[in-house]
Amino acid sequence: MKCGLSLDVRDIDENSINIDPIQVGGRLTADAMKAVIAYGDGYSVCDNCRKPNRLDMIKSPPIDAFHRDLAAFVNMDEARVVPGARRGFQAVAGTYIQKGDPVLLTALSHYTEFLSVEAYGGIPLEIQKSQENIITADAAGEKIDAVRREYGRPPKLLYIDHFDYQFGNEHEVKGIIKVAKQNDIPVLYNGAYTVGIMPVDGRDLGADFVVGSAHKSMASPAPSGVLAVTKERAEEVFRTTKAQADLTKRTFGIKEVEMMGCTLMGVTLVGMMASFPHVRERVKHWDRHLSNGTMILDALLAISGTEVKSEYPRKHTLTRIDTTGSFDTVARTHKKRGFFLTSALKEKGIAGTIPGATKVWKFNTYGMTDAQARYTAKAFQDIALLNGLPVSP
Amino acid sequence: MSKRAVDSVFQAMFLLTDLRVILRDTAPVHELDESQQAIVGRTLVELEEQVKVIRKEMVG
Repeated sequence: MKCGLSLDVRDIDENSINIDPIQVGGRLTADAMKAVIAYGDGYSVCDNCRKPNRLDMIKSPPIDAFHRDLAAFVNMDEARVVPGARRGFQAVAGTYIQKGDPVLLTALSHYTEFLSVEAYGGIPLEIQKSQENIITADAAGEKIDAVRREYGRPPKLLYIDHFDYQFGNEHEVKGIIKVAKQNDIPVLYNGAYTVGIMPVDGRDLGADFVVGSAHKSMASPAPSGVLAVTKERAEEVFRTTKAQADLTKRTFGIKEVEMMGCTLMGVTLVGMMASFPHVRERVKHWDRHLSNGTMILDALLAISGTEVKSEYPRKHTLTRIDTTGSFDTVARTHKKRGFFLTSALKEKGIAGTIPGATKVWKFNTYGMTDAQARYTAKAFQDIALLNGLPVSP
Repeated sequence: MSKRAVDSVFQAMFLLTDLRVILRDTAPVHELDESQQAIVGRTLVELEEQVKVIRKEMVG
């Protein structure tokens, strides 16, 4: 089936259980799908845009109220919608980083954080991870001291991912923020894997900036996200234009410089808005999703030779696993080689793994029903047994 | 005439969307429990009503 001449219908989630590490938290709710149908046209939220002509002030649809709700959702003072978490990083970086400034990231930071630092001439410096792949407050303190010694000043900014994309491990966010505050370093909390799937309280954590990815974790179309800040930081990050054109003498109202004026003017924003009541509710049920993830992981670990590379017990549904000692031993002699696993999973209606991967790979179980979780756990073990791998009872 | 047809077209698409989500929730085997079957049944009745309106308004 085609959408138009050459675009195949995408029905992965209708026909399969999707365990793609980055896709599961961004799947739309029914209400978001309906909003997408109704608001698909370009500038669809701008029908009732009135002076002072800014996205976050539009009352119909109630975008202004949505912005207040978003800030409250993560317990911060002000929020803006942004085209993905990366544009939130960029807005903060653009406000504070100047050429030659040292900026702290971590050994598990996402590449877009590095790019945001690079874009403004900052020097990205990593906090070391522990042997267990955890970023600790002690390591952050040591790195801050090292930066002070080398640069004669503290880092200009610190980015910390609550859960990283590589292992889905939880890092010592609160402790790290405390150490940063003791050194007067503003902190950007990267909640790409938290905001929208589990409760996040930016004020309690002490963050200056909370960034979330709506297309990753808030059941929204891409690119979408949120940048929420404290009242003190709002005046800086959400500063308004002062520019005046030299020939025409035009000025540009109260458009915000780092937002490049308005951000999400159509389907992405209404998708976020339509999903939001469901997202606000679903974070209360994080434990159920975690429990399903643990059940599936335990089923995998019962397959002889399988190891978990992420921290265990799990605190997140994104997990890195090593099946070199199990599924990869099958791949060595299987006629489909490494593709046997993807193929076997596909036959069972499970999608989202990297084709050919039988050594170290990631999966994310977020959003499954309980029945789908049980099905997935059994499917992995059935594939193992079918290929002669021992499975513990 | 046109407003009614427009409303029914949207309503029909929304009802189909509800069915789409049930397909997602029950993938890959799509074995619906009694409650899901009841929802699908009610949704189809409503959908048929909307299709009737669309036919009447747009075809005559």
